[in-house]
Amino acid sequence: MLETTLSQVETSARARIEAARSAEELEAVRIEALGRKGALAQISKQLGTLAPEERAHAGKLLNAVKQALEEALAARKARFEEEALRARLDAEWIDLTLPAPGVRPGSLHPLTRIQTEIEDLFTSLGFAVLDGPEVETEYHNFDALNTPPDHPARDAQDTFWFADGNLLRAHTSPVQVRGMETLKPPLRMIAPGRVFRNEEVDASHEHTFYQLEGMLVDREVSVAHLLYFMKLLLRHIFGREVTVRLRPGYFPFVEPGFELDIHCLICGGAGCPVCKQSGWVELLPCGLVQPNVLRISGIDPEEWSGFAFGLGLTRLAMMRYGIDDIRLLQSGDLRFLRQF
Amino acid sequence: MNFSYNWLCELVEGLTTPPQELEQLITMKTAECEGVHAYGEPGSSMADHIIEIENKSVTHRPDLWGHLGLAREVAASLRLPLRDPVNLELIPPANPAVGVSILDLDLCPRYSALVFDNVTVGPSPPWLQHRLEAIGLNPINNIVDVTNYVMAELAQPMHAFDQDLLDGDVIFIRRAREGEMVVALNEQTCRLDPTNLVIADARGAIALAGVIGGLDSAISPRTRRIVLESASFLGSSVRRTSAKLKLRTDASMRFEKSQDPANTVRGLARAVEMFRQVSPGIQVVGGLADQKKEMPPPAPIELRLDWLTRKLGRALAPAEVREILERLCFGVEETAPGAFSVTVPSWRATRDISIKDDLLEEVGRMIGYGTIVPQPPLMAVVEPPASPERMFHRQVRLVFTQQGFTEVYNYSFLSEERARALGFDPAAHLAVANPLSLEQALMRLSLLPGIYRNLLENSKHFESFRLFEIGREIHPRPQGLPREVPHLMAALYACDGASGLAELKRAAECLLPGAEARPAEARTYEHPARAGELLWRGQVVGRIFELHPSLLNGRAALLDLDLDLILRLGEPEKRYRPIRRHPASAFDLSIVAGERELVGDLQRHTVRLAGEPLVDIEFLRQYSGPPIPEGRKSVSFRLTVAAADHTLSLEEAGAIRARIIEGLRGLGFDLRL
Repeated sequence: MLETTLSQVETSARARIEAARSAEELEAVRIEALGRKGALAQISKQLGTLAPEERAHAGKLLNAVKQALEEALAARKARFEEEALRARLDAEWIDLTLPAPGVRPGSLHPLTRIQTEIEDLFTSLGFAVLDGPEVETEYHNFDALNTPPDHPARDAQDTFWFADGNLLRAHTSPVQVRGMETLKPPLRMIAPGRVFRNEEVDASHEHTFYQLEGMLVDREVSVAHLLYFMKLLLRHIFGREVTVRLRPGYFPFVEPGFELDIHCLICGGAGCPVCKQSGWVELLPCGLVQPNVLRISGIDPEEWSGFAFGLGLTRLAMMRYGIDDIRLLQSGDLRFLRQF
Repeated sequence: MNFSYNWLCELVEGLTTPPQELEQLITMKTAECEGVHAYGEPGSSMADHIIEIENKSVTHRPDLWGHLGLAREVAASLRLPLRDPVNLELIPPANPAVGVSILDLDLCPRYSALVFDNVTVGPSPPWLQHRLEAIGLNPINNIVDVTNYVMAELAQPMHAFDQDLLDGDVIFIRRAREGEMVVALNEQTCRLDPTNLVIADARGAIALAGVIGGLDSAISPRTRRIVLESASFLGSSVRRTSAKLKLRTDASMRFEKSQDPANTVRGLARAVEMFRQVSPGIQVVGGLADQKKEMPPPAPIELRLDWLTRKLGRALAPAEVREILERLCFGVEETAPGAFSVTVPSWRATRDISIKDDLLEEVGRMIGYGTIVPQPPLMAVVEPPASPERMFHRQVRLVFTQQGFTEVYNYSFLSEERARALGFDPAAHLAVANPLSLEQALMRLSLLPGIYRNLLENSKHFESFRLFEIGREIHPRPQGLPREVPHLMAALYACDGASGLAELKRAAECLLPGAEARPAEARTYEHPARAGELLWRGQVVGRIFELHPSLLNGRAALLDLDLDLILRLGEPEKRYRPIRRHPASAFDLSIVAGERELVGDLQRHTVRLAGEPLVDIEFLRQYSGPPIPEGRKSVSFRLTVAAADHTLSLEEAGAIRARIIEGLRGLGFDLRL
């Protein structure tokens, strides 16, 4: 009799657990079946009326039904939670293709980029990075660089002059002189900076451009050492071996003096407007330091020797990024600058 | 300068290298070529190739201003014999038919002359005209053409005077008298002074030494007798005169390079031979007139093989060195094994070669620098000096690019007009003495003119943008070099008129944590109600302002920082303090103040009144409108207070708050409680 009732309660409760559509409905089922005044509680009350041996058997049955229903309820509840979580997560859908708000980083100037790279390379090789004034003395720009008083480079047409005889430095080489004045040999230095030439501006000429001067003074410095550093520099900048050629070039502050040409990277050496159809681009005037230059700055050329080079940073940036108009670099045009 | 391939072939025996290859050879061994091009009808007798050499690459080589000099290089490079076209025996050994008197042997170390009679002046034969035209010289007449031919061949400029137009039998070489006049061959009248050297007869100047002849004694169809001058003048003197009179000639270009005094007589001998070809019947009168400064021959240069090897970084055989130098006409004597005594030929000795390092170049270029193997040096490991400025500028660039600003580079120049337009005094700037255009008249005292140009230009293409520049201001000083001060100028533009000041201030704080702005009197180019100074670590390090609205459509906020000063102030030292172990308590305060009372001042008062227990103060908002009375605003802060050694009780926190309120009331502020 009791067994029948229990079986009916279980069957009915299981059916309603299955049928529950929400956590609330499920709770109502639980209260009806398992609550203090629920169906099982009612049956439990009747146990007292049974004979002791029957009671034990009925009690076991009751507990089994109770446990079975609790498990069924828990399983159903877990499914509800899972569904609810799934629904919430689905509702939280976000369109990842939406553009992100906020300010984007700006760009560094291409010359800054290339200059930084070269500074870092030379710093790693133990070179100092030096700076000098843009308005220079005639002494530092010419005299101390062994440029004779009647040298054509001193002509007014190449140099911007001031009334007091000072000038806008025409190259970064004066920083060599300042370096030798302040640092004792052995010394290794580079000096990037802005230089000025009194020239008409067009697509390939500027009155304001950038150079990077380099100098190494040590006991025994050879052309082979110079070549090593120049090839290292070019490999670093271009990320691969670059074909170079070294030919005689005349600068009063080096002896011997060289022009270092690289195979034109625009046309690969076949000839194009950038290399004036020659296949070669003049990039790196360099040489062994003229003994007079050392002597003028108080370094004994019998004891010390060195090499120096003057890298055209502006031309290098143009080669590296394929810029065909030099004027863009100082145009301040964001349509150009934001590309870097 | 142009060189004729055919001419070089005449001077280098057995030269068969094609013109293009020859051009490459010259570039690699001697001097930079700018190109080679065909000249004249192919197949005709005039057909030639012209090799153009970059003038700047031969300023140190007087000998390369003539074909023979270049031919000597080619012959040496290719190991071919050189044919010297000069026959000195053509000058008769006789007394000179004209007197020469050099009054300044420094400016004119040598003057040689020869007199010719029975001259016929007329056009040169076609071959001579063509050859001159091929290298860019204009044929004039047979006499002048020969002087130009010899110049183009031997690099020795020459000049022919009509002897019948000269006064007296002596040629004087002297400094011009103050105000002395001469009419040059190009009909330019030149007023001279004693810095100019002239050739003169008994009456006066007849030529500008080394630059140009005079019109009065010029060769004409009537000329029967000529004095042919072949001289050597001091390069710097010729250059000065030529620059001052703005007269640059083929002769002056060559003399500027310090021509070889030994070459004057060679020029005359070559001219004798040429004149006989182009002016039949011409006769030399008398012998050579020649005066010169006696100069000791240049001392031989000691050259050691081991030094040469170390400098080049490549092994060399003694025979190789000797052979190279001898091919280039140096005298080589081996005084001991591996030690040479080298004599320099006269045409290389005027200024080109004087030390062993010069010989290093001769050997190096002839063996070819391509044969030297790059080699890393062995050097001491030395710590290079630090460059804090550079590192700081990198940091500034990083901060501003990350805040959305793009870096620009602007010129250091500005025009007077731009200076005035922005309210700068042009006279306060350093002025360029020889600007190419008005745009380069002045050196910038501020980065503003460049940034202003960037704003104008970019506002044509963008509705809003951010940019910055790091560059130097140039401040003139009464003595010595100007002060160059690195500055940052950053600009934030919006065409819709929204103010970028707050955002710019935030960017500034990214670089300078704790920086404060305070209002300051506006400059001409600044918005009068939106201009202030930026303070950091107690010092004014720059300005923050909006550009005056009349200068621009739209609105631009600008930040100007003195990077030198900021670097000097340095970063505050960082020290760890133990983390607070007792909880803090917070409360809000709303202060009612006048509408233009500065929030910064209110905050400063509050901080001072709060004293020791204040851990943090945060600005929440400001508000005006009901119920705040007209003309006033309410400013709210959240204060966090704590004690170091215990948790503040409610009463303690309340007491602190009451103390602040009382203090603020004492300063005349109301509080909304």
